[in-house]
Amino acid sequence: MALWNKNLWCVLSKVAQNVPATCVAPCNRLIHSSPPAAIQAEVSKPEGRTTCTLIPGDGVGPELVHSVQEVFKAAGVPVDFEPFFFSEVNPTLSATLEQVTNSITKNGICLKGVLASPDYSNVGELQTLNMKLRRSLDLYANVVHVKSLPGVKSRHQNIDTIIIREMTEGEYSALEHESVKGVVECLKVVTRTKSQRIAKFAFDYATKTGRKKVTAVHKANIMKLGDGLFLKSCQDIAKLYPKIEFEAMIVDNCTMQMVSSPHQFDVMVLPNLYGNILDNLACGLVGGAGVVGGASYSPECVVFEPGARHTFAQAVGKNVANPTAMLLCAAKMLNHVNLRFYGDMLRGAIDKVLKGGKVRTKDLGGQSTTKEFTYAVINNLR
Amino acid sequence: MATKLGTKAFSLLKYSSPQNVTRMLSQAAPAPFDIQHSNPFAKKVDAVPVAKYGGRHTITMLPGGGIGPEMMTYVREVFRYAGVPVDFEVIQIDQKSESDEDLEYAITSIRRNGVGIKGNIETGSARPGVMSRNVGLRNELDLFVNVLHAKSHPGINSRHRDIDVFIVRQNTEGEYAMLEHESVPGVVESMKVITDENSARVARYAFEFARKNGRKKVTTVHKANIMKLSDGLFLEVSKQMSKEYPEIQHSDMIIDNTCMQLVSNPHQFDVINTTNLYGSIVSNVVCGLIGGAGLFSGRNYGDHYAVFEPGTRNTGTAIAGKNIANPIAMLQASVDMLHHLGHTQHAKMIDDAIYKTVNEDRIHTPDLGGQATSIDVVQNIIKYLQQSTRKINWQDTRSSTFY
Amino acid sequence: MAAQIVKRASLNRSTISDWIKGLLSRLKNDGGQGPSFQSRTFEVDELSAAQPLKRHYSSGTRTCTLIPGDGIGPEISAAVQKIFQAANVPIEWEVVDVTPVRGPDGLFNIPQAAIDSVNKNKIGLKGPLMTPVGKGHRSLNLALRKEFNLYANVRPCRSLEGYQTLYDNVDVVTIRENTEGEYSGIEHEIVDGVVQSIKLITEEASARVAEYAFAYAKDNGRQKVTAVHKANIMRMSDGLFLRCCRDAAEKHPDIKFEEKYLDTVCLNMVQDPSKYDVLVMPNLYGDILSDMCAGLVGGLGLTPSGNMGLNGALFESVHGTAPDIAGKDLANPTALLLSAVMMLRHMELNAQADKIEKAAFDTIKEGKYRTGDLGGKAKCSEFTNEICSKIQAS
Repeated sequence: MALWNKNLWCVLSKVAQNVPATCVAPCNRLIHSSPPAAIQAEVSKPEGRTTCTLIPGDGVGPELVHSVQEVFKAAGVPVDFEPFFFSEVNPTLSATLEQVTNSITKNGICLKGVLASPDYSNVGELQTLNMKLRRSLDLYANVVHVKSLPGVKSRHQNIDTIIIREMTEGEYSALEHESVKGVVECLKVVTRTKSQRIAKFAFDYATKTGRKKVTAVHKANIMKLGDGLFLKSCQDIAKLYPKIEFEAMIVDNCTMQMVSSPHQFDVMVLPNLYGNILDNLACGLVGGAGVVGGASYSPECVVFEPGARHTFAQAVGKNVANPTAMLLCAAKMLNHVNLRFYGDMLRGAIDKVLKGGKVRTKDLGGQSTTKEFTYAVINNLR
Repeated sequence: MATKLGTKAFSLLKYSSPQNVTRMLSQAAPAPFDIQHSNPFAKKVDAVPVAKYGGRHTITMLPGGGIGPEMMTYVREVFRYAGVPVDFEVIQIDQKSESDEDLEYAITSIRRNGVGIKGNIETGSARPGVMSRNVGLRNELDLFVNVLHAKSHPGINSRHRDIDVFIVRQNTEGEYAMLEHESVPGVVESMKVITDENSARVARYAFEFARKNGRKKVTTVHKANIMKLSDGLFLEVSKQMSKEYPEIQHSDMIIDNTCMQLVSNPHQFDVINTTNLYGSIVSNVVCGLIGGAGLFSGRNYGDHYAVFEPGTRNTGTAIAGKNIANPIAMLQASVDMLHHLGHTQHAKMIDDAIYKTVNEDRIHTPDLGGQATSIDVVQNIIKYLQQSTRKINWQDTRSSTFY
Repeated sequence: MAAQIVKRASLNRSTISDWIKGLLSRLKNDGGQGPSFQSRTFEVDELSAAQPLKRHYSSGTRTCTLIPGDGIGPEISAAVQKIFQAANVPIEWEVVDVTPVRGPDGLFNIPQAAIDSVNKNKIGLKGPLMTPVGKGHRSLNLALRKEFNLYANVRPCRSLEGYQTLYDNVDVVTIRENTEGEYSGIEHEIVDGVVQSIKLITEEASARVAEYAFAYAKDNGRQKVTAVHKANIMRMSDGLFLRCCRDAAEKHPDIKFEEKYLDTVCLNMVQDPSKYDVLVMPNLYGDILSDMCAGLVGGLGLTPSGNMGLNGALFESVHGTAPDIAGKDLANPTALLLSAVMMLRHMELNAQADKIEKAAFDTIKEGKYRTGDLGGKAKCSEFTNEICSKIQAS
């Protein structure tokens, strides 16, 4: 039966490619005709164009985004960008939050660089622009796939962990006040609804990607109610996934395990702040902020952004930043909108360049510029 | 400051509606006993959020037995070409196994994904008292209503033309309660359960459906002249319900008469509202009239979950693996599913491709009197899909999904 | 500063005045013997002018409280005592038991004798403690922290020569605020399914720990203090902490000061730990980062820890009680020994401290007598004996 099915696939995909437009009702084929030899199924390659919102961000963002655009142009990817200058550092020139949200809502996808967040003293507002964007789009789940890249030297090898972080509540609620002078209270809000939502996301993601284990990271031994609720929610949701192992780990132990034996982790689900810490920690393990891509999901749309968010402002205009993270984000984005053909092509080209090791940006110990790296990727496109 | 904080704290309250998901979760893994003996009353369950992330859905796919697996292959192939933002969690159920472990896992999977598409699942055991797996699944998820749309395809030769009937069928109780026993040797009692609550839910669904889709008439099919209490209750509830929908005409008809009327004058029916067993009979009769088992899809709805399947629920073991089964029914089920998920554009695109294939190109499998193989049909559908995806990809198909 | 204190006192009069009273009384009682760091806060006050600080280089024997702890605690404590004896450290141990006893209020608490002992000696060494699971038990660690007002937790993490990990250039000290922040313990459930935890940051505690960090850097010959924060997100609370660090930095122009986001530190730390020297941060970040740094150098079994408080200082090993190897003479006493060395430094017994530390490091480096957790086969007693003989030889 299985064999038959396989053959069926082959026939199907073969004829799917070759079917002439005029071919109607072929009657000559016998019912029991034996299927022809195997042909690899072609990935879908719709020709319709896709629009993607583009937020270059601050720091080196614009340079990295430019690199993505160059590669897309060279590969003939049917994606149009809708760019917005969106910045908190430069509020006068920035597009409004509403414009950006509307565009992302319409397009469903967005490629975003990093937004710098100035300190409190400069702006006088508690929520950062990043937080506002997440709130208004309800981008609650951040996924960072930390994977050792071929050819990137780092202390640990073969790391392959998915870190899933809640992004709309917890410490990042922006509820702070100074009760009396010199005493500040910062509220951390944890709700069951959102905890269950992120837990479910993590388990669904694990199911979809064929992972075996989900680790919930918490500090419920100290924050018994808050993190306790998060932990309880994860445990509840875990019951719906009998085939996925579930374990819980305290956050400080988790960071220690992460740096000493990171291979034990498969999928991790974390509240906001811990997620931020682990994201960056794990990115550091595989080669730094320049090589890890990430994505933030709401039910309706996805924002693809680098996994560790650093504006790298000191490198602006120097043509030295590593565009790998941004290119990986772009590849993920293509896969998401059914342009797997292009996504895989881009991914393959990046891997080839990194593996070759000849063209390396400064952060990976090389001397190449952003441009050179971009061209190397273009040259390696199939 | 205090007021600002106050409003923020208040705004958080909206997330806190005490959705007691835990209660539902506690039923996450039903014991085999529960599946087999689940009572016919409405199950009160609260849903976890559906698996929709970044505009992509994950749904549970149960290929089932017989032609199911090949049909699912076609669905996935068609979805791939249409660029449908849906991912599948495929769960195979071991047909031969006596244990219900796989089925339980499948049910759990539908619980967390919210939506499933299934072929017909064979029940491994022939022992009396073992519930059919299909019934078990429906009962466990409380999919209380089944909707089948029987609409003539102009390209298919049949005795009657232009039939357009919706059959709304109670799906969890009635004769399918599976409460049977042999009181003394040679005497078997089978219990038929009709409840006020479930009858009302189905009747409510039928009338709401009629109103929303601009239908004029609801016919309640029963056998209340004989089964005065059970079918009488169903009829009574439907009559009560009809009073709330004065703009919709309501009539009732006895099942044997209905079958006769269906084959002689099917155009008098619009929406049929009926109990479980009669629904099964009526839907098979109607489907037979206009093209057979391979064309129509059925949708099972509960309060929180929806499962889509071929309408006439046949396994098709005899023609499995012969490349002659008609893939239209399963594809139609997938179109229904896309409508349910809100991917209207994609649904329409596939629906159009099916329509053109069946009615314009007239590529028919042997069950419709044609000579085409299953693959021929699918290929022709894909050909149309390739044409339509030339213009659209992501956004055009999204606009309708968001609002 | 004085004005500031007064202003603060007017807001939080009882706490501040208690604090001052406590310090004053200690100064009187000890005749300035109190640990130098405590007095340091005073140097900036005008109070210190009235009574100049006297450093106490002790030649006489001093008493220290020893809390052996549970599990492997007793064996490693014994090892430390033995080594101290070998090094002729002028310290007398006062061993106390902190097994909780039920108080008149029905709650389990530390026995008064233990509290008195630490209060009297002002300095203590503690092995790992097991927190009983279940309700009604307060975490003993927490209780001790509260009792002695331990406001700063110091954890030096240093790569050990000879013990290979993926990181060989780690030499950072994490200083963590220990009384407030996320661990304030103020939590409530507003409605079903919505919990609020309060992270409390006060100027008093932040300034205290910031000041301590700079003092520590100066005392230990460190170059740089990095304040770790997340003020881009928690703009007020972490902002306040950051401001306090900046204020303290101004008073110590000789020490370099920088501010880094928590995420940046995490990222850089695992890439190049040599970028950092002394890190000062609020409670939760400290908890996470200190364990992470310990992970870099080989785990909690090798990292010492000290807690500085208003009422005394407590040095401890932060690893678990390891009940599975308890009593088998397999435990690694390094963490507790290094904590004890920290204690000696704190008491300004630097000569002995250096001697013991060198012996311990040499023993690990030679690799002949390593315990199981370091990949060796030696028993705890063999390891201890080797250190003792090295000390005696030097």
